[in-house]
Amino acid sequence: MEDYILIDKTVFFPENGILAIGDLHVGYEHMLKQSGMNVPHTQTKDIINNFKGIFLKLKEKNYKIKKIVFLGDIKHFFGYEKKEKLALKEVYDFLRQSFSEQDIIFIKGNHDKFGYFGKKLKNYYVRNGIIFLHGNLKYEKVYEKPIKTVVMAHLHPSIILSDKKGVKKEKFKCFLIGNYEKKRFIVLPSFLEITDGIAVNDYREDYSKYSSIIPKEALMKFNVFVIGKDEIYEFGKLEKI
Amino acid sequence: MTKILQAEKSESQDIQKILHPLVKEWFFSKFKAFSQTQEYGVLNIWQRKDILISAPTGGTKTLTAFLSILNYLVIQAQEQTLENRVYAVYTSPLKALSNDIHKNLVEPLQEINELAKKKNIKLQEIRVALRTGDTTASEKAKMTKKVPHILITTPESLAIILTSKKFVESLKATEFLIVDEIHALDNKRGTYLSLTIERLNELSNLWPTKIGLSATIEPLEEAAKFLVGIDDKREIRIAKVPLDKKIDIDVLTPVDDLIEDENIYPSFYGLLESLIQAHKTTLIFTNTRSATERIVNTLKEKFPTEYGDDNISAHHSSLSKEHRFNVEENLRQGKLKVVVCSTSLELGIDIGYIDLVLMVGSPKSSARALQRMGRAGHKLHEVAKGRFIATDRDELVECCIIQKEMIEQKINKITFPKNCLDVLSQQIYGMAIYKIWDIDELFSTIRKSYCYSTLTKKDFLDIISYLSGEYDLEKNNVYDKIWYDKETRQIGKKGKMARVIYLTNLGTIPDESFVNVKLASTGEVIGHLDETFLERMKKRDVFVLGGKKYLYNYTKGMNVYVNSAEKLSPTIPSWISETLPLSFSSAMEIGEFRYSMNRQLTANKSKKEVIKFVMETLYVKETTAETIYNYFYEQHKFIGIPTKDTLLVERYKSDKKYLVFHSMYGRRVNDALSRALGFLVGEVEGRDVEIGINDNGFYIAGEKLNIEKAFNQLTKENIESILKEAIEKTDVLARRFRHCATRSLMILRNYKGQTRTVGKQQLKSHFLMHAVRKITEDFPILREAKREVLEDLMDIENAKKVLDWIKEGRVKMKIQETQLPSPFGSNLILQGQSDLIRIEDRQEFLKRIHQEHLKAIKEAMD
Repeated sequence: MEDYILIDKTVFFPENGILAIGDLHVGYEHMLKQSGMNVPHTQTKDIINNFKGIFLKLKEKNYKIKKIVFLGDIKHFFGYEKKEKLALKEVYDFLRQSFSEQDIIFIKGNHDKFGYFGKKLKNYYVRNGIIFLHGNLKYEKVYEKPIKTVVMAHLHPSIILSDKKGVKKEKFKCFLIGNYEKKRFIVLPSFLEITDGIAVNDYREDYSKYSSIIPKEALMKFNVFVIGKDEIYEFGKLEKI
Repeated sequence: MTKILQAEKSESQDIQKILHPLVKEWFFSKFKAFSQTQEYGVLNIWQRKDILISAPTGGTKTLTAFLSILNYLVIQAQEQTLENRVYAVYTSPLKALSNDIHKNLVEPLQEINELAKKKNIKLQEIRVALRTGDTTASEKAKMTKKVPHILITTPESLAIILTSKKFVESLKATEFLIVDEIHALDNKRGTYLSLTIERLNELSNLWPTKIGLSATIEPLEEAAKFLVGIDDKREIRIAKVPLDKKIDIDVLTPVDDLIEDENIYPSFYGLLESLIQAHKTTLIFTNTRSATERIVNTLKEKFPTEYGDDNISAHHSSLSKEHRFNVEENLRQGKLKVVVCSTSLELGIDIGYIDLVLMVGSPKSSARALQRMGRAGHKLHEVAKGRFIATDRDELVECCIIQKEMIEQKINKITFPKNCLDVLSQQIYGMAIYKIWDIDELFSTIRKSYCYSTLTKKDFLDIISYLSGEYDLEKNNVYDKIWYDKETRQIGKKGKMARVIYLTNLGTIPDESFVNVKLASTGEVIGHLDETFLERMKKRDVFVLGGKKYLYNYTKGMNVYVNSAEKLSPTIPSWISETLPLSFSSAMEIGEFRYSMNRQLTANKSKKEVIKFVMETLYVKETTAETIYNYFYEQHKFIGIPTKDTLLVERYKSDKKYLVFHSMYGRRVNDALSRALGFLVGEVEGRDVEIGINDNGFYIAGEKLNIEKAFNQLTKENIESILKEAIEKTDVLARRFRHCATRSLMILRNYKGQTRTVGKQQLKSHFLMHAVRKITEDFPILREAKREVLEDLMDIENAKKVLDWIKEGRVKMKIQETQLPSPFGSNLILQGQSDLIRIEDRQEFLKRIHQEHLKAIKEAMD
């Protein structure tokens, strides 16, 4: 029995009651609109509905969420954008209905520059041997002995699956879980619904561009967990797919 | 309804009577007499009658169109009554052609001016100006002050002018509008132009006389209506100038036996070389960009002393504008021995003296073949010499049939896309920028355009809703383009940036981009791939490029690195392809020929008799006829010949079950039929079905195939809705949706000075399609994308016709079991481009793959 539960695109640690969320990229739609796209906006609503679903599922299993940790890249714009801030506020207000201010934790990603709602961004968050961080930068803390598990986002992993003949292909979001430097790593997919993410079985030669703390060779030995509509499917080692 | 009349031919002296002495003297110093085209055209234009002139290339169409106008302007110039306004607009879909016309118009004018000077006649200056996408701002500013009397422009630039603030004033008394190369407008550019013409009519204070110029096309009545639009008060004359140019045409093959002879490729280049050497200048058409490159390179490699950069050149649309311009200029100057092009030199501009046109592979329609032939001996009375070169047996039959159509003057029909909602969106935006409209006035103006004469009020109102932002009901901060006030029933533009957005995003030709394909080992460039094609590839996929197979390795920037993979079979269907489709009428002609061959062979006629029959029917020499005889005889012995009244279906089994349909209707019809049938077959099992198509037929492959049932289900009434469902998840719809979204300005290619790459546009369209589906499945632009796939890419109209024939019993289906594909079927299996009909749900697919995966892991552990 594992000490974590993969639920939808998030991971939950029952012992600590911590729910970790991958890259949110609020404001992606505004980016599209800024580049002249005539699109209707549903992203904020989708995010909130997504949360409601996850909360309900955990409740049905009699788990209680105590803290919610955002693993960075909470918003999309590198700079400051008013509309984006409003959208983030909407998400935040929704969460505040169930959580106190200090139980919502924001970790700094490469897209995040300032704090949100008067809260400072943390480089990482540690609890009972688990470190939560974005995954683009290394911190000494990761290598300290009591740390057993590293929970990160940043890579937006997804996987292309094809049938035997290779004619049909579909892309799915996935988790990557494996060991590296004697620690267990859990890589979360992006929370943003509208993009599938970067296909890990197609990591191109320029992988280093994503400046991740896990080298490609190590990642290839990780196990793949594909996110289905109601279930998570284990697919074995990445290099074998 | 618009009235259509036949144009009368006039006598030479009647034409001479109207000509100003200077113009007359100039004309007869250049030409001995009026050409037929001029006898039809000049006087009619002088009398301000709308006219469509259809004449073979090498005629004197352009001068015909301009002669009356020049004459009119010279008369005014002498009387010193020329005003500072545009008298005539000339528009052509070809940029290079506009440059060319500019030269051909400025020169006569200069000569007339010189003549006037000699005679001491004082003429006002007659100004001609060129306005295209390349015209600089200062040139444009100059035009606003010193308005050109004759304006040369492209359809896109004309639309821009109609929204300009100042220059449009100079167009309000345009007396003549010349539309050249109408035969090249059977696409959305044409649809766009038909609305632009209506916009010009609407803002003009007088009716601009329409002069249409086209090569030999059918049906001329439709092209004529395209030019003048649809209205009870309108009438147009058609002048069909007969083809009196002699043609010398033949079909060649590199070797006599296209099956057994292994020297086919060496012989092919040998044949090219000997033909090129026997002539002064040769123009080769290859249909595709990759074949163009391949032929140029191989000729240089094989015959290094004969061909080098100084005398051989490639010409196709992926090459730079400068490169193409240089090639054209070198051709005109007679510097080149041979030019190889895809299709890019088919149209327009005078490219100088060419004494041989070679068509490698089938040109796919008789009109296209005639157009290509017209490039040889560009002057009217010279003999045009052309040769088809066929390298396989299907191609040979096809080329012979097209040659027969040319000799018998059977021209395939063209159609203009109608009621396109994306083009409509863009035009309404432009119209709203020009002025505030009453909604009924707007609708009736649009309906006068030939391409929108059957536009429904619903479609029109849906577009108004889309443009005014009504589809986004929740929030108003979405980018609206127009406002519509339901009280006053008025429509106008929204936003200060409107004109800029319109100018920088106008047009109907979608952006495509290409990535380089390089060998991973040496970095050698092999060719180019469409970027959208790349999106579907993953490691270890095998694809075909330029006839060779490659294994996909990785991508870096705009380069794709691959390894040669001759022994593996392709895993990626190359559906996105530049292959031209065979015209329906040529396909029917082949069906007809198969029918008579079947009668000959079933009547047990001797080989000699049948060969004689082939020679007479197809106008071919004995060796060609014998190759065709052998091909048909093999098919006859194997399984029988499919004809126009039997739809033969072969059923055979290899790795899976195959059904091969010998539906000789051309790729566009086969595409529609195969997808509809594939969808019905797949639906029963809930599994994806593989299909493959080419011009001669299609195949469906899968596990269980209950084809009789599927065929009984499919009718001309339900094929449209079945197809709409079948294409729902295809890449081709996503791609077309991107094009439509760009045309309708949902995605701006250019916004606030930034240009969007195709990849980004595609990403957006993926997102956008998802978004509009959330609002309504009936979103007008999505509807347009589906219409485009069904009507422009496929040919649903003729597919319905075929289904009707089957229902009436005019065509009977005959299913036969075979061990191997028949001779007629083997090309289809080998080369047919395949795709997948997606039936299976994403989640179902995930579960199934997971099961397979678990099994594989378990087996590995055991």
